[in-house]
Amino acid sequence: MSEQTTSAVTESQARRPEVTTVGPPVPAEMENPVFVVENLDFYYGSHQALRGVNMKIGRNEITALIGPSGCGKTTFLRCLNRLNDLIAGTRVRGRIDFAGKPIYDPSLAAIELRRRIGMVFQKPNPFPKSIYDNIAIAPKVNGMKVNMDDLVEECLTRAALWDEVKGKLKASAFSLSGGQQQRLCIARAIAVKPEVILMDEPASALDPLATIRIEDLMSELKKDYTIVVVTHNMQQAARVSDRTAFFNVDDSQGVRTGVLVEMGTTHQIFTSPTDQRTDDYITGRFG
Amino acid sequence: MRTRRAVTDRLFWGFCFLAFALIAAPSVSMLISVAHQAAPAVGWSLFSQTTKGIGIQNAILGTLLLLLGVLIVAGTIGVAAGVYLAEFASGRSEKVLRFFSEVLAGMPSIVIGYIGYITLVVQFHWGYSLLAAVIALSVLVMPYIVKTTEVALRQVPSVLREGAAGLGMPRYSTLGRILVPTALPAITSGLIVALAISTGELAPLLFTAGFSDHNPRLQLFHQQVPYLTNVIFTDLALPGKRPHATSAAAALVSLVILIVLIVAGRIVAGRARRNTARMSL
Ligand SMILES: Nc1ncnc2c1ncn2[C@@H]1O[C@H](COP(=O)(O)OP(=O)(O)OP(=O)(O)O)[C@@H](O)[C@H]1O
Ligand SMILES: [Mg+2]
Repeated sequence: MSEQTTSAVTESQARRPEVTTVGPPVPAEMENPVFVVENLDFYYGSHQALRGVNMKIGRNEITALIGPSGCGKTTFLRCLNRLNDLIAGTRVRGRIDFAGKPIYDPSLAAIELRRRIGMVFQKPNPFPKSIYDNIAIAPKVNGMKVNMDDLVEECLTRAALWDEVKGKLKASAFSLSGGQQQRLCIARAIAVKPEVILMDEPASALDPLATIRIEDLMSELKKDYTIVVVTHNMQQAARVSDRTAFFNVDDSQGVRTGVLVEMGTTHQIFTSPTDQRTDDYITGRFG
Repeated sequence: MRTRRAVTDRLFWGFCFLAFALIAAPSVSMLISVAHQAAPAVGWSLFSQTTKGIGIQNAILGTLLLLLGVLIVAGTIGVAAGVYLAEFASGRSEKVLRFFSEVLAGMPSIVIGYIGYITLVVQFHWGYSLLAAVIALSVLVMPYIVKTTEVALRQVPSVLREGAAGLGMPRYSTLGRILVPTALPAITSGLIVALAISTGELAPLLFTAGFSDHNPRLQLFHQQVPYLTNVIFTDLALPGKRPHATSAAAALVSLVILIVLIVAGRIVAGRARRNTARMSL
């Protein structure tokens, strides 16, 4: 009997992704979080997509959101920059503080918030414009007083795309490959000098090599930005993130609703999760 | 088995060809017969003389002037209303605007002409005039422009909206710098079709434009405007070979303007399709 348990544990241990995050390990307790989420409920009309989420997101850290499909990861991510406001009939309850201020306060403009919190979407969505204009358009509109050529070069360099496109900045963004388009979208996001970058499965449409480039880029950007990334790829979470939050679908109250099961340092979540569901998920026993 | 499939295949293509012929044949035969009847009138004098002589220069210029007026009036108002419906309208204002747009779309063109006559020509004392004619034509084609603009904007992939919102771009800059430019080819092809419709209309103009044997002038009020469909209509009713040929020539010129507009619309719409196809969103 005891033998069996031991072998089961070693077996699951063997299938745990190895945590190889770049940089010094983060402390278990967060000192100065960028986001503090308290008791967040979210509704699409009458359908509750999130219930009672409590979370802190650390500055200059990469936080990975993992969990099975439909558990509300995208929904949660889009609450952080109030992008769900664009969808008619959505409702938020609870509280999200960003840099110490409640973001769902009516006096706070969502536009200003979104300038400070950039977003990269699951599928690359460059504007139907030139590579140059894709990056320059938002800083122009926002009235940033900068040398635009320098800014474009800087952002493309940071997004590890400059060498590939420096000769054809006036070409359409659609002439780029999917992976290049996604890096362009990252460059576009950092052009408005945000403090946070939200990424929703940024590499899901890309091949393994392009994925590695995006991951390297995230580790690189971590020095200056706080990154929150949704991923389906357990290995990816283990490779790049400092902390991991595991979401799951809960139907104990009769309806299927997304809940945050647990959050901790990526090392802790991947080696000694406290909840059985987390363990099952990361070792691939379900989901 | 194979022969049966071949037969079905043949039948299918035969049917397609028949359908095509049924549509194409009348158009082609119409074009040929119009050209044939117009032949005696076609010559340099057709373009160098006005209807006072044996040409239709004044009517061609008048029609082009009316098209320009429609482009300015119906284009501006129609596109603005379409943008409003697609982006800003909600609740009651949307319902009201949509209702009026639908009523206008269903209004017989002769009624539009008649209303134009009693209000603009008579009540406002504008007389038969360029502005009255342009407004009557604009009212006729506006619903079409509103609809195509609205649809064009709604078809812009929502990920572009979200992308712009995610960068903190305000709604009006998103609209002006991303949505409208993306939708522009589709909006333009809608405008071109509206112009094509205007080219062939007679009813709204009968009561509003009047007619004149002189070239049109850039004067909004109290100055009658000659136009092609009027020549087609009136010269056909005159006795003799010459007026009939002139009528056919005016029809031919209208057809040429129409074809040019349709081809232009095709080119623009094709470009629009290529743009969105490349987006692969
Ligand atoms: N625009 C919407 N309108 C209504 N319901 C929605 C909408 N978007 C998402 N939902 C619902 O909310 C729940 C959570 O969806 P969400 O997209 O946040 O999940 P997710 O964890 O990101 O899933 P995935 O891993 O497949 O991307 C799902 O049940 C989904 O059907
Ligand atoms: Mg998702």
